[in-house]
Amino acid sequence: MITSQGARTLLSALLVFYAILGRAETSRPTLPLEQRTNGTQTLAAIGKLKPLTIDCAARIETKRGQALCAATIVGEDGYILIKASEVPDLAEARVKFSDGRTAGLREIRRETRFDLVLAQAVGITGLRAVSFGAARPLTMGQWLCSVADAGKEPRIGTVSAKIRRIPGTGAALGIRMDEKSPKGGSGVRIIGIASESPAEIAGLHENDVIITIAGAKVGAFREVHELVNKRQPGEIIEVRYLRQDKEDTCRVRLASRTKVLQNWEGEDFANGGISLRTDNFPEVLQHDIPLLPTDMGSPVATLEGKVVGINIARVDRVTTFALPVEAFWTEAQQWIQADRHPPKAVLAE
Amino acid sequence: MRALFSIPFALLLLLGHLHAESRHDTPPTPQTDIAALLRIQADVQKLLPQVRSALVAIQTGGGTASGVIISADGLLLTAAHVPGGPGKDMRVILEDGSITTAKSLGMDKTTDAALAQLKKREKPWPFVKLSREVIKAQPGEWCFALGHPGGYDKERGPVLRVGKIIKQTANSLHTDCVLMGGDSGGPLFNFDGEVIGIHSQIWENRDQNVHVSMAPFLRSWEAMQKSQVIKTWGIGAGGYLGVATVMSDNVELEVADVIDGSPAKTAGVQAGDVILSVNGEAMTDQQQFSATVRSRAAGDVLKLKLRNSGKDRELSVKLDQKPQEEGQ
Repeated sequence: MITSQGARTLLSALLVFYAILGRAETSRPTLPLEQRTNGTQTLAAIGKLKPLTIDCAARIETKRGQALCAATIVGEDGYILIKASEVPDLAEARVKFSDGRTAGLREIRRETRFDLVLAQAVGITGLRAVSFGAARPLTMGQWLCSVADAGKEPRIGTVSAKIRRIPGTGAALGIRMDEKSPKGGSGVRIIGIASESPAEIAGLHENDVIITIAGAKVGAFREVHELVNKRQPGEIIEVRYLRQDKEDTCRVRLASRTKVLQNWEGEDFANGGISLRTDNFPEVLQHDIPLLPTDMGSPVATLEGKVVGINIARVDRVTTFALPVEAFWTEAQQWIQADRHPPKAVLAE
Repeated sequence: MRALFSIPFALLLLLGHLHAESRHDTPPTPQTDIAALLRIQADVQKLLPQVRSALVAIQTGGGTASGVIISADGLLLTAAHVPGGPGKDMRVILEDGSITTAKSLGMDKTTDAALAQLKKREKPWPFVKLSREVIKAQPGEWCFALGHPGGYDKERGPVLRVGKIIKQTANSLHTDCVLMGGDSGGPLFNFDGEVIGIHSQIWENRDQNVHVSMAPFLRSWEAMQKSQVIKTWGIGAGGYLGVATVMSDNVELEVADVIDGSPAKTAGVQAGDVILSVNGEAMTDQQQFSATVRSRAAGDVLKLKLRNSGKDRELSVKLDQKPQEEGQ
């Protein structure tokens, strides 16, 4: 208990301190970048983990070489797991490995529950697959490392909260709509647009009147909600709208509703943005490794080099979710097995 | 759920600061290796169970934040922008999910330090110690942050961030423990499990996370316990009285000079007066007097008890803005 006597002691101790600070004022040292938690000096400590982490990650990019997301190598013969909602169409993407090789992708299985796609890099062999270890026994404070900057740079952080399920709240455009129908017509008028939301990115404006969503006519704001809500974050829908008496169409990439609403004014300070899909996961391992949305899909490992999960969502400034290995690996192995050994066609008698 | 940080202001400060930062170098710290990282992990995991029960979530009309209990009778540290003023009722959620209330006490609005008092209960509150050696929190030291970013989430629980101190200023610590809205008021710990900072502000970059250091808390402890609001300390423009003091041969606090046109002059303070007390608080030395005056804002009224030639008298002085380049 701090009594007033105690407080007086505090005060006198303070005067001494104050004098010292007064002198220090002119040369306040600042920790150089390389000595910070994710500075080069600290990261040198995990340099020898490169074969088990960086070499087991790959970059998913457009055919022009623009980063889309990351992938984790799970089979020497080209099998990789990719963050699904960032790549709706694998035919438009390619994979680039840390040894510089690139390849086209054959989609094998897309699993919305995990937000993962199993794909095979066409014509690639001799890859290094990750070695998995258990995630569920890890507790807060456990160091983890991962791969940033398009699969090149190591990063460290710690398990920062409890392993848990993240319920879903559906998808959203990030608009506020007029409850009344616009003057003399059909459609739904937009009266507000969230910062950095799917609608803003697609180029929708305040006062635009939405006429159709994915081909379906809308007459009331509830109909817009219904059409959008049953879809998944990451999906692209076509929105036809009226702006100053001219009709036009845009393609909107939907995002998780929770984050669109919480970040309405762009107050998140997320640094590099957040993933389109940030919820509706069966289980997540939360960590504080500084990563970008384009780093999602990369492996997360312990300092022993055991991969314990795949990064699945950059959620906000302090939060990244990884799918723990226990959540998806048993199933994913079955997909690979089924793809390697498809049932043989039986000749008709 | 609104973020509790004064972000636009913080953003404005950003540029000039970065340039100033890059000029200074610290002596090189020992090379980190995996063994060193694993020692840090072991320390954090040992300390967490001891300190996490002292973390609380705070809900006010304005939003959601964090705080930390620092005494068995329920004294709480938080950020001044969380309650916003003294005497405010706040809803408090403990680590186990149970709910209670607290009332805000005093605060230092310039440095963002605030005290609050949890509702009395018979059982002692879980608490952590605060570090009284502010100077020890130097750049390069490892530290860890706890809080409720985004608000209290029962399934998630408190959120940990492990990082390093980047800079110490007179009233704050900068770290690479990444913070966001809802963390405000939460504790930053050293590796003795003592509170060394209270989460206060962020700037845009990931490495720009600002915590109130223990300095303003220790400095203004009594005032804050008395629910006083300190508005002007940090900028050195506290209430202006207009007297210069010396310690007399009898080790009493004596007025050496009174500045013409100052509030003290107007109120009738004279050179040679011995200052016995300010607002009932006995004055024993110059620093204490100086701190007492400066911790009050212009417009505040001070009651001075003075003695001259064996006669005591009391005066009320209304403090003014401090003119440029003048004494206390």
